[in-house]
Amino acid sequence: MLISYNWLNEMVPVGLGAYELAEKLTLIGLEIDGVHERDGDVIFDIEITSNRGDCLSHLGVAREVSAYFDKPYKLESQIEETPSITDRVSIEAPDLCYRFTSRIVRGVKVGPSPPWLVERLEAVGERPINNIADITNFVMHELGQPMHAFDLDSLNGRKIVVRRAAKGEKIATLDEEVRDLDPSILAICDTDKPVAIAGVMGGLESGVTESTADVLLEVACFDRDSIRKTSARLNLSTEASYRFERGVDIENLVKASNRAASLMSEIAGGDPQEFSDEFPSKRKAVSVETESLEREFRRLTGIELTDAEIEGYLKGLGFEIRGASSFEVPSWRHDVSIPEDLVEEVARIHGYDRIGEALPPSRSAGEYHHLEQRKRRLRTALVAAGFDEAMSYSFVDGAAASAYSTVDEMRGDETPLVLINDPIIEGANLMRPTLLTGMIEAVHKNFNHRESDLRLFEIGRTFRGLSESSLPEEKEMLAVVLTGRESFENTSAAGRAYDFFDLKAAVETAAEAIGIRGLEFAVATEPRHLQVGQSALVRFRETIVGAVGRLESTLADGYKFKQPVYVAELDLSFLLEEPESVAVYKPLDVYPSVVRDVSLVVTENISLSKILEVVSSAGFENFEKATYVDTYTGEGVEEGERSVTIRFEYRSPERTLTDKEVDQVHSEVLSSLESTFSARFR
Amino acid sequence: MSDEKQQLEAIRDSFEKEFDRFSDALKDGFRGMKLSAAEKLAKELGEFRVKHTGKKSPISGAMKLIGRVAPEQRADFGKTVQSVRARIEGRIAETEDSLKSYIRSAKTKREAVDVTLPGRRVRSGHLHPMTLLRHKIEDIFVSMGYAIEDDREIETDHYNFDALNIPVGHPARESKDTFYTTGGFALRSQTSTVQIRAMERRGAPIKIIAPGRVFRRDTPDQTHTPVFHQIEGLCVDTDITMAHLKGTVSEWLRRMYGEETKTRFRPGYFPFTEPSAEFDFSCFKCSGTGEFEEAKCGTCRGSGWIELGGCGMVHPNVLEGCGIDHKVYSGFAFGFGLERMAALMYSLDDIRLMFENDVRFLRQFY
Repeated sequence: MLISYNWLNEMVPVGLGAYELAEKLTLIGLEIDGVHERDGDVIFDIEITSNRGDCLSHLGVAREVSAYFDKPYKLESQIEETPSITDRVSIEAPDLCYRFTSRIVRGVKVGPSPPWLVERLEAVGERPINNIADITNFVMHELGQPMHAFDLDSLNGRKIVVRRAAKGEKIATLDEEVRDLDPSILAICDTDKPVAIAGVMGGLESGVTESTADVLLEVACFDRDSIRKTSARLNLSTEASYRFERGVDIENLVKASNRAASLMSEIAGGDPQEFSDEFPSKRKAVSVETESLEREFRRLTGIELTDAEIEGYLKGLGFEIRGASSFEVPSWRHDVSIPEDLVEEVARIHGYDRIGEALPPSRSAGEYHHLEQRKRRLRTALVAAGFDEAMSYSFVDGAAASAYSTVDEMRGDETPLVLINDPIIEGANLMRPTLLTGMIEAVHKNFNHRESDLRLFEIGRTFRGLSESSLPEEKEMLAVVLTGRESFENTSAAGRAYDFFDLKAAVETAAEAIGIRGLEFAVATEPRHLQVGQSALVRFRETIVGAVGRLESTLADGYKFKQPVYVAELDLSFLLEEPESVAVYKPLDVYPSVVRDVSLVVTENISLSKILEVVSSAGFENFEKATYVDTYTGEGVEEGERSVTIRFEYRSPERTLTDKEVDQVHSEVLSSLESTFSARFR
Repeated sequence: MSDEKQQLEAIRDSFEKEFDRFSDALKDGFRGMKLSAAEKLAKELGEFRVKHTGKKSPISGAMKLIGRVAPEQRADFGKTVQSVRARIEGRIAETEDSLKSYIRSAKTKREAVDVTLPGRRVRSGHLHPMTLLRHKIEDIFVSMGYAIEDDREIETDHYNFDALNIPVGHPARESKDTFYTTGGFALRSQTSTVQIRAMERRGAPIKIIAPGRVFRRDTPDQTHTPVFHQIEGLCVDTDITMAHLKGTVSEWLRRMYGEETKTRFRPGYFPFTEPSAEFDFSCFKCSGTGEFEEAKCGTCRGSGWIELGGCGMVHPNVLEGCGIDHKVYSGFAFGFGLERMAALMYSLDDIRLMFENDVRFLRQFY
């Protein structure tokens, strides 16, 4: 809101320059967003918090300045008029209109405003229209009370009825839009139709024009919620609705009307006549009761003030002291109802900067979230392995997300997903059930920037479980993606092209970092986003915890990816609840092992894990372990076959084995492989 | 006797003659000799040494001559033989030593590398700036005795609004600001929800920090994203005052930005605190002067202060709603946005980058 320094200074001169005053205003809660100079004036752009509707005028700011500097403010003199009762106004919706004053000003000459008025309005960002409209705007900026001037002759029956609009009623408003009204909207009507939308905007037909002779000036107070809803419903926010929503001073209506009428007389040559004040149920003053405000103040600020000091501050703000323990809130304040509110009032005028600084007593030891240390290890390990940490929005395009199998789906769980209303990003109506949509989007964007060697990970929540009765389930997932080639620090030399096994290594690195050892990988066809043949389900102790593999080709083609992309997603919530594996010492070997490397040729569908399982589970004597060495296809190996080299180790805990002993058991191992897999040896 | 002497001289002469090529090389310090040539020469010198000092060498044969010399001249002759032998051995050893050291230095030279070439290192990854900042802040607060809390991102209206003293009809509750699921739950619009759940679970006294994602229906632009991060702090105990709030926020900001950092508290408004305040800290770039490198400081726009967050004394309705007696306990809470803090720290003019996962951006932070 814009406030003119000159205008303010007329109301409450405190002898401070504009910039010094701006600083003080900030410190008492009227935050100055900007200050600019204008024709010998300085304009403050003040950010008024939504609870301080009373500050939306020069009077409002002057009251604050007055309280802070303990100097009185003054208002321009104005006509005093005793209300004469007429039957011109009837309030049919007293629940939405609390008070309505009307005044007839006869014989006005509508024309341009005098320079001083134009200057004041332009200083606060208002465009001059004509003297009558300008006066209503001026008084609003001066006293905070929005008002509206009607052309009396345009009102049917020359009467005002304040009622809910009827269904199907329409009004053309001053902005030349035709608006549909309904019974949720309070309308100012003449005897047969709405002539204004209460508290929001006047009607086009009933507005003051060059030919207007007699004016009906409306100065009223409406229900705040009702105005807010109307404004939202019509998507129409005005200076008036802004103030009514935040609350005007119901006891200030007559003053505001008098002030406007005085100006209409002075500037437009009008003659103020009949005045009516419909005030169906009088306002009840709000009082805050507290046993000892001094104690309450000390309890919350740590500052000791005397009762007299406290009362001084509150009186300066317009509070009435009713005995030692009761404080009557001024009619313009809608934000004070409990002792804590009074504490704030006293504290801000006394000065927040006069409150001390201390650390609270310490009764607890600090602690990280119980999963944080494991997550930090996870992040550290992935970063060390060359992965950059990504972060994506939590809502995604539902259609894009359906291309991915979630870990829950792989477990056979088809719980419905979580949708949101009115997404802000087009199409993004689904709370992500997987992090992979975001990761693949990231790959896509980076490819567009010619960044083709990528290693990314994200740790984030996924959601599922759409129900009105219970909150959705939130699960933390880890997604890992890699594509392109290995790259090195400080060199442009390209390394090896990544493949499936780089991804698998990353997943294992991640798991080990959080104390999870022994993930199992099995051939999978279920994950629809992964290419069959380069797709594996990941299990930990029989539970499916995720999948790893190469992005399936139609999905990759959709993004026009020209290089393979490898993706993995793991259920981190599950893994982090699993206990960490703990090292167990095994005595060092006393006798040496005997090693035999064997290359066996098997058909392609025989997996390494099957081969290792057969030899490990047979219980061969002195057999210690079998480990993978490498795989070979090419000359000497038929199509449809591959050669797998495996290192067998034999050891006895009691003695050094002889070659003869080893040869014997090794040949048993080989013949078992031969018979189980029809393997040949190279 | 002269016969033997002559033989001895002949041995010496033949040695000197044959040794010339080695001594010539030694004389000019093997200058310019290639490593391979030097190694060949060393090998030849080895053979030469065997030939001239081995068991079958002439000088070894000359030892036998000593017996043939008349007894009275034998001692003298013996000495002469020994001196010839010592000379031969000495000359060879001297040359061998030099040659070895020449070879060693030639090898060292050959093995020299350009130490300014890059180390052999797989490219390192980078933590997201949000994570880096969160870690730093969590570390500070844990050291100040706070427990880090985490909770749901989708919440009931109760936790997102009612329990925070945001009444029905409050503008913040409108769906134009808050996302709702089709099931009617809110995507939390502030991490204050965690305060409520933590107070319900732990009761008082309590000292917690709650970092997390929050959601508001803002169209993405340079300073807004519909998803962002907040950190919220809460301390409830007996006799907690605004002085503790100010002390805590100031201490944290000093640990964050240095001992010189100043803080400023201004009255503010939040439904869940009363009294409420906004807190600013002295600009870390211009040290609060408003000027940087003789121009208006861009970080604080010349004001010397950076607005960071909101805070206040926990509203009695909030405490009571969590079953904490507000007559016995009081507390403070504060909160701020991480994106904004990061944007200030790194002079970032577009916070949408935080969620775009552009590696040219991500790889700048460590």
